[in-house]
Amino acid sequence: MEVRRERQPGERGFGLLMLALGLFLAWQAYGIAGFEALSSPGAFPMAAAGAMVGAGLIVVVGDWRAARQAPQPLAETARAFTAEITPSVVMIFAGFVIGYAALLDSLGFLPASLLFLFAAIHYLNRGSVAFSFGVALLSLAVIYAVFRLVFQVILPEGLVPEREIMAWIGGLFAGEAQ
Amino acid sequence: MMEQAFGYFTIAWFDPSLLLLVAAGTFAGIYIGAIPGLSVTMAVSILISFTFSWEVNDALCLMVGIFMGGVYGGSRTAILLNIPGAPSAIATALDGYPLAQKGEAGQAIGIATVMSVIGGFIGIFVLAVAAPFVSDFALTFQPRDYMLLGVLGILLVGSLSGESLAKGVMAGALGMLIGVVGLDPLTAQERFTFGIVELWNGISFIAVMIGLFGVSEALAQLHHLEKAAVKQKVTKIIPSWSSIRKYLPLSLQTSGIGVIIGALPGTGGDIAALMAYDHAKRVTKNPEVPFGQGAKEGLVAPETANNAAVGGAFIPMLTLGIPGDAVTAIMIGALYIHGLNPGPMLMIDRPEMFWFMVGNLTLANIFLLIFGLTGIRLFTKIVECPRGVLIPLILLLSVVGAYAVNNSVSDVYWMLAFGVLGYFMKIYGYQVGPVILGVILSRLIDENWRRAIISEQESLPVFFLNLITSPLSAVLLLAVVLIFLSQTPLWPRRRERT
Repeated sequence: MEVRRERQPGERGFGLLMLALGLFLAWQAYGIAGFEALSSPGAFPMAAAGAMVGAGLIVVVGDWRAARQAPQPLAETARAFTAEITPSVVMIFAGFVIGYAALLDSLGFLPASLLFLFAAIHYLNRGSVAFSFGVALLSLAVIYAVFRLVFQVILPEGLVPEREIMAWIGGLFAGEAQ
Repeated sequence: MMEQAFGYFTIAWFDPSLLLLVAAGTFAGIYIGAIPGLSVTMAVSILISFTFSWEVNDALCLMVGIFMGGVYGGSRTAILLNIPGAPSAIATALDGYPLAQKGEAGQAIGIATVMSVIGGFIGIFVLAVAAPFVSDFALTFQPRDYMLLGVLGILLVGSLSGESLAKGVMAGALGMLIGVVGLDPLTAQERFTFGIVELWNGISFIAVMIGLFGVSEALAQLHHLEKAAVKQKVTKIIPSWSSIRKYLPLSLQTSGIGVIIGALPGTGGDIAALMAYDHAKRVTKNPEVPFGQGAKEGLVAPETANNAAVGGAFIPMLTLGIPGDAVTAIMIGALYIHGLNPGPMLMIDRPEMFWFMVGNLTLANIFLLIFGLTGIRLFTKIVECPRGVLIPLILLLSVVGAYAVNNSVSDVYWMLAFGVLGYFMKIYGYQVGPVILGVILSRLIDENWRRAIISEQESLPVFFLNLITSPLSAVLLLAVVLIFLSQTPLWPRRRERT
C-alpha cells in the first residue's frame, strides 16, 4: 500500500507550472500541423500534450481542494519553501554545478573538474583543505584514467594540452622500448 | 546434425584464447555497464571498433561478452547509487536502491546476479530452440500491433506512478513529448525545435536519464548530509537456495516476457525490464516489503527479463537481420564487416556461426555469474563513502556520462535541467520513471500509429475494424483494455464487491 506523502510547500505552484508547460506544449503541438490529418507529424504530440493537460488539471484541482482545507498565508509558504525545498546547501551546490558546467568548455575537463570537486567536497564534507584536495585529485585521476585513457572518451581539453602530453608520454615509452 | 551443432557450440569452450576473449568481454561489459552514462550501446560500439581487423571468431567472442555483461552491469549502480548504468536497469533501481539504503546492497546484487544468469540461460535456450518460430511470429506483426505494444508499455505508467495516477500520466506524457523533439523521422518536419538546429536530433535520452536519476538524486541527498552512511552487509552475497527457489517461478515468468519483448524489433531489455516489473507487481499479492521500498520481487523481475531479452534480441538479429535494439543494430553492422550476412540465409549458409554465437552467449553467462558475484565488496564501499564526497563524485560521473554521448556541453546542460526538474518532481510526489518510459516508447507509438493509419487511408472505422478482426491485434487490444481497466478506480471497487 502506498503511504500518502505530506504536502510540501510550493506543491500547488509546481502543479500549476506543469499544467502551464502542458498547455504551452499543446499549443506548440497544434502549431506543427494543426488538425491536418490523423497521420500528421503533430497528431501524436497533440495527443500526448492533451493527456498532459488533462492529468495536469486533475492534479491542480486536487491541490487546490487540499489547499482550501488547510489554508496557509503566501508569506508562510514562501518561507517554508526556502527553508525546506531550496535550503542554502542545495542552492550553493547548484551554483557549484552550474559554474562547473559553464567552465567545462573554456577551462577544460581536468582543471574545471578539479576545481568543482575540491570546492564541493570542501563545502559539503567540511574536512581540512588538504583532505578535500587529496580526495578531489585522487578521484579525478581515477575517473580520468577510466574514461579518457581506457575508454578513449573525448573530454573537453581546454587549457591542458592533453594530446601533446599523451604524445610525449607515448614517445617516451616508444623510446624506452627501442 | 546435432553432433555438428554441438561441435560448433563448444568451439570457444576448448580454445583458451577464445575463452579468454569471452571472459574479457564479459568483464569489460559488466564494469562499463555499471558506469552511469556509459551505456552498453556505447561500450559495444567503442570496443567493436577495435575488432574490425580481427578474425571473425575472436571478434564475435568479445562482442557477445560485452553485450551480455553490459546489460547486467547497469544493475550495480542502479542498486548502489540509484543511477541506472544502462536503460535496461531503470526498473532495477526502483527496488534495488531502497534495498541498498537498508544496508542490503550485497544481497541485492547477489540475487540480481543469480537471477540475471537464470534469465540469460532461458533467453539462450529459447534462442537455440525456438529461433525460427519466434522470428516468424515477429515477422507477422503489423504497424498497428507495434503501436498496441507501445501502448501496453506506456500503460506501465500506472504501476510506476506512486501515490497519484494523474501525476504519473502527466510525467509519462511529458516524457513522450520529450521523445518527439527533433525532426520527424517520416517527414523531416521540425517538432518542438523552436528553430534551434541543435535540437534537430532531439534531446539525448542519456542526458534525460542521467539528469532525472543521477542529478536529482544527488540534489535530494543534500537534505541528508548529516545522516550517517548506511553500512552495507556484504557477508551474504550468494543468495540462499530457498530464496532462489522462492523467486524462481516469478523469474521464469519474467524471463518469458524478456525473451518475447527482446525478440520484437524496436524493443529491448529496457522495455522488457519495465514490463516484467509491472508483471511482478501484478502477480505478487503479498510482498514482504511493498514495491518501491525494497521488494525483492521488484529486483528479480527486471533483472531476469533484461538478460533474457539478450537471447531474444539475437533471434531476429540472426534469423531475419533485423535489430532488436540499438546494440544488436551495431552488432549487425559488425557482422557485415566480418563478412557474415545476418538473415534467414545465415542459418542455411553458415549454421556454424549461429551455434558458435549461442555457445559464446552460454559461456558469457557463466562468466557473468563468476564476475557478478565477485568484486562486490569494493563496489559497496562506494555507498559507505561520506555523502559530502559521494555527491560531488556522482555529479562528476553524471557530467562525464552526459558529455561522452555526443561530446557536447549542451547535453550537460540538458542533463542539469532535467536534474533540477527531477529534484522538484521527486519532492512533490511525481515519479521520474514514467518520464523515461514516455521517452523510450514515444517513437514506437508515434511511427507505428502513423504507418497504421496511413495504410488504412486515414479511416478510423477501418483501422478499428482491422484491430478487432486480426487475431493478433485483438489479443493485444484486449490486453491493453484489461490493463487500463485494472489501473482505474473501477477495478478495485468491483473486486471488493465480488
